[in-house]
Amino acid sequence: MIKKKYNDKEQWFIYHANLRTKTLVVIGLAIVIILSIFISGYFIRDIPTNFVNAMQMPSLEHLFGTDWMGRDMFQRTIAGLGLSIMVGFIASVVSTIISIILGLFSSFNKFADEVVAGIIDLFSSIPHILLIILVSMMFGGGVYGVIMGVGLTHWTPLARVLRSEVKEIMTKEYISLSENLGRNKVWIAIKHIFPLIISQIIVGVILMFPHAIMHEAAITFLGFGLPPHEPAIGVILAESMHYLSSGCWWLAFYPGLSLLLVVLLFDLIGENVEKLLNPETAQE
Amino acid sequence: MDQKTKMIIVALAAIIVIGLAAFAFMGGFHDSDPTHLTVATHSNMAEPEAGFNPLTGWGCGHMNYNPLVQSCLFKTDKNGEIVPDLATDYSISADGLKWTVNVRDDVKFSDNSTFDAKDVAFTFNTAKDTETDLDLTNLKKVTAKNDTCIEFELVEPRSTFIYDLRYVGIVPEEYDNETYGEHPIGTGPYVLDHWDKGQQAIFALNDNWYGDKPYFTQINMLFPEESTWLELTKSGQVDVAPVATSALNESVDGYNFVEKSAGRAQGISLPYLEDTGKTSSAGAKIGNNVTADKAIREALNVGINRQKICDEVFSDHASPEFTSVDTREFANPAAKVKDGYVAKAKQILKEGGWEDTDGDGIVEKDGVKASFDLYYPPDYLDRQSLATVFAEQAKDLGIEVNLKGADWDTIYLNMYSSAALMQQTSPDPYKSIYQQYHSKEADDFYMNPNLYSNSASDKLMEEAMHSTNSDAANALWAQSALVNGGGWGPAGDAPWVWIANYNYNYFVKDDIDMGEQPDGLGNDFLINICEWTRSNSTA
Repeated sequence: MIKKKYNDKEQWFIYHANLRTKTLVVIGLAIVIILSIFISGYFIRDIPTNFVNAMQMPSLEHLFGTDWMGRDMFQRTIAGLGLSIMVGFIASVVSTIISIILGLFSSFNKFADEVVAGIIDLFSSIPHILLIILVSMMFGGGVYGVIMGVGLTHWTPLARVLRSEVKEIMTKEYISLSENLGRNKVWIAIKHIFPLIISQIIVGVILMFPHAIMHEAAITFLGFGLPPHEPAIGVILAESMHYLSSGCWWLAFYPGLSLLLVVLLFDLIGENVEKLLNPETAQE
Repeated sequence: MDQKTKMIIVALAAIIVIGLAAFAFMGGFHDSDPTHLTVATHSNMAEPEAGFNPLTGWGCGHMNYNPLVQSCLFKTDKNGEIVPDLATDYSISADGLKWTVNVRDDVKFSDNSTFDAKDVAFTFNTAKDTETDLDLTNLKKVTAKNDTCIEFELVEPRSTFIYDLRYVGIVPEEYDNETYGEHPIGTGPYVLDHWDKGQQAIFALNDNWYGDKPYFTQINMLFPEESTWLELTKSGQVDVAPVATSALNESVDGYNFVEKSAGRAQGISLPYLEDTGKTSSAGAKIGNNVTADKAIREALNVGINRQKICDEVFSDHASPEFTSVDTREFANPAAKVKDGYVAKAKQILKEGGWEDTDGDGIVEKDGVKASFDLYYPPDYLDRQSLATVFAEQAKDLGIEVNLKGADWDTIYLNMYSSAALMQQTSPDPYKSIYQQYHSKEADDFYMNPNLYSNSASDKLMEEAMHSTNSDAANALWAQSALVNGGGWGPAGDAPWVWIANYNYNYFVKDDIDMGEQPDGLGNDFLINICEWTRSNSTA
């Protein structure tokens, strides 16, 4: 009689490993995929037109089909995703820096805390897309405008989390002890508070990524970001709308699906990293 | 709520649903009157922001087309000849400075007031003072001699003045600038019945129309985005819709594909002046050291394969264009060059001192890389693909073209220092030659966007303008394209790379008969609307 080796409640698995190792493998794989998209996207320049092969259905030669200039949609999609990831990365870094500064600033005193809370509320009260459009136009449009637009608008959720975290840390005894010992606020913020919020920051950044990418795609789709010869995902999707009535479904389907997959990959990384960093789940 | 109320509500809902379904099934909201015509306009006949007012450009500004509500002194017949409409005849004084036009005395405006010479004088005097694309600076004064006779005094003789008389719709003297655009009054075959801004304008018959009664008693004019043209056609809601560049290979059941020549030249302007740090009054940078070199401009003109572009980008609905007026009677075939000739282009570059010394595939001269920006309006698919293919072909010659998609304001701000993708469609040589190639100051206006200047060519253009004989004028216009090895043609100074002459294409319902239309005016597809009929009245 074969004895059941494991119970059904356990997650499915390919090989035996503890959760920690599995999580690391998932994160590693996701990162490899994203990096490979980013790097290959970087090297795709000037996809050649070939009008003889315009508007072809997906085939082995052209995995995602071709567009109206006969350009290979797989290459365009990868280039677009590469650009999206780049924009997402820089925008996330910008957002994170703003959140950290505001979070730490809120530790100074009650008044500073109120100011930070006010700024966060102010920014979250403006409709997101509208704010991105305004900011990116203010910075003159183009890739730079989109990066700044997305970067300067995505910090509010993280800043809010950091602020509440900081508030909690401020009630701890070692903070008041440190204050009594004559340490100044900046020193306390950097030496005592910052190390304790690093895990929040890491998770926050990774979960900000999919948002940033989606918003980049959204405003380029609306035509506010990049000119149409740039292979951005939003541009590709907006363009595909012209051809849906001609039955060219692949122009929208594959790029859209790819965008979704990349976003889900980031989400996956975010969730798994959180699992590792959270002391309650990290040792399972 | 008791049982009875519920029953009533359910019954009502059912009736509404069934009613709507039946309505949709039997043709829905479709206008089924055969004498009603629904047309979708293209972007060159866009919805006029300031209303249907000739004095702000309706019909006679950036593009010329039938204003429907107004009529003009002259019209174009099916052979392309300009013949009298409101006018009966005209004469030009020997010195070319006085044009005398006699007009009909049996015409009434749509508000029942009588049309006379004073209305014509008023229209032109007002149009002259209004800032529009219509350039009437050469018009000194217009006076009504009596009820049927108008005298136009010009600053200097101008052979092309007939085109201004041809396209300006006449408005009544009781014109009110504030309300006219939305409530136009004219002598045209139609009146504006209703205008849903941003969507459609509905024109009804003008009972006072002096011509033969048109078959179509109502015209619904839609102003859709280019991306919806094909869907509109496929849904069967329109009788005429333009064909987008992306749909040139499509066919739609129940519609004919109608191709109209228009002399619509599309090409690339190359900044003609060196960059000396100068700017225009609006702050636009002037000059580009790469395109100011004749070898670059010549090599592009010779090396580009126009036929290939026409076949591929425009699916054969265009023909190669070299001088921007190839199909007009003032064309100069000698100013063309043999193109698609890559070896020759490379030789021209080499002789001009441009060589690839660092092995990156792009030629250099004195440390300057042969690289320039090309601005194009991204809203138009044809221009986007044209720009992309041009950049590709230029790269094969060793010239780098960086694409910049931008709105018109940005394009105008950069046209003096960067290449720009432009289009021109005008039968009037004043617009298509004089304004395009005659030297001028950097005034930030979009004509002559590369600040081309050649004094010998200028002189011929001026002579053509002053000529009182149209054949002589045409010969002079043609000569200005190639004079002493210079001139604005590609065989001369080659200030532009004109690429394609793109026809206007329409999906037209197969029961519509568009009558006979003149060649070369395909953008003005309603030009002979009064002759249109629908054969199948069961539709």
